[in-house]
Amino acid sequence: MPERALRLGVCGPVGTGKSSLIALLCRELSTELEMAVVTNDIYTDEDARFLRSAGVLDPDRISAVETGACPHTAIRDDITANLMAVEALEERFAPLDVVLVESGGDNLTATFSPALVDVQIFVLDVAGGGDVARKGGPGIERADLLVVNKTDLAPYVGVDAAQMKADGQAARGGRPVVALSRIDAESVSELTAWVLGCVASHRAGELRPQDPGPMAPHSHAHGDHDHDHTHR
Amino acid sequence: MHQELILMLLADARLPVAGHTQSAGLEPALRAGLTDVPRYISTRLKTVTRVEAATAVVALHSFRQGLPLAAVEAAWAARTPSPAMRATSRQLARGLLRLGGRLWPLPDLHDPSRGVALGALAFAAGLSPASLARLIGYDDAQTVAAAALKLVPLDPADATLWVVGAMPLIQSLADDVAGLTEPHEIPASGAPQIEVWAEAHAIASRRLFSA
Repeated sequence: MPERALRLGVCGPVGTGKSSLIALLCRELSTELEMAVVTNDIYTDEDARFLRSAGVLDPDRISAVETGACPHTAIRDDITANLMAVEALEERFAPLDVVLVESGGDNLTATFSPALVDVQIFVLDVAGGGDVARKGGPGIERADLLVVNKTDLAPYVGVDAAQMKADGQAARGGRPVVALSRIDAESVSELTAWVLGCVASHRAGELRPQDPGPMAPHSHAHGDHDHDHTHR
Repeated sequence: MHQELILMLLADARLPVAGHTQSAGLEPALRAGLTDVPRYISTRLKTVTRVEAATAVVALHSFRQGLPLAAVEAAWAARTPSPAMRATSRQLARGLLRLGGRLWPLPDLHDPSRGVALGALAFAAGLSPASLARLIGYDDAQTVAAAALKLVPLDPADATLWVVGAMPLIQSLADDVAGLTEPHEIPASGAPQIEVWAEAHAIASRRLFSA
């Protein structure tokens, strides 16, 4: 059995509900699991404060990492600050079952390094537009779980949540998708069952971190020609 | 390994040691109304950065001679009165040792300051005291300049010019401290205003940089 906690990353664009999803997981699972959270705010410790004020976890179990306006770097190219925060929590509250790492809300291309998290959730929401799941990208296509969040808002923003989930499934070649609403108990159980499954396979030593992979090449129009290149 | 290559590696912003989380105190300084960033760079080089560079050089000497590091740590702490700055230094040291331990065999250290950790890396990698001091001066100037690009509207070429402008001071800092060997020789050149800003930043709720 691994000595350390399962490290679960939650990433996705700004405002899709990463902090709420983490609060939800803490609320649902903190009676059966020992949990802690690391947040990566872009500016302010807003997310850490939100989670502390949500009262779902001992505030001391929530640490904020300041990324110096580099939320992407902090979870991918230089994970030092996050690893140190995770390890400090693991040491202080040993033994922990799960450490949740929330990325600073970035864009569709940001995913966690497999050296930082064992497993990662990519979060989209219906209010961000029904076509986002179809657009793809490493997180949407290859994160361990895709969450299409806030499905209860779908009627108000003119989005077909079932279609968005289907788009996600089509983009992911069979990898799991949860269409989540925090007021839909069934969808919440689907999410928590997935997390508990990850904890079980981590404990059994069967979990191998999968890298969602590099950012897909994209093209910029440069006047008279287009070219593809990959961002570092 | 070639000294110059080691120095390039350690001075490279891409080195994964959480450098991107740092503004070398610039963020709270700007918030408090500071406007002359190049002068802030030179003030640091004459004060807090001088303490750190001297600490690193004396630590390197101690590693080379097999002397205990406790006196070096104590001398550094006595010259770094801000608890926030000491905490930041130790935090950055943990990142350096985490990486350094993967690159070279390092001496055993318990929660050292950044200067002592860099002294350990320099010892393991065979860096000279003068190179180590230049590294610390250069890194400090670049940290301020790079953070300024995030905090104030600025042409990146101007920020680079600041670093080039600070080079004579970095060199003279290195000349001054490279020969130090004893903890008591570490200059007590603190900067109370920078320390006050560091304390304020540590409890600020809206911040881009850790320190």
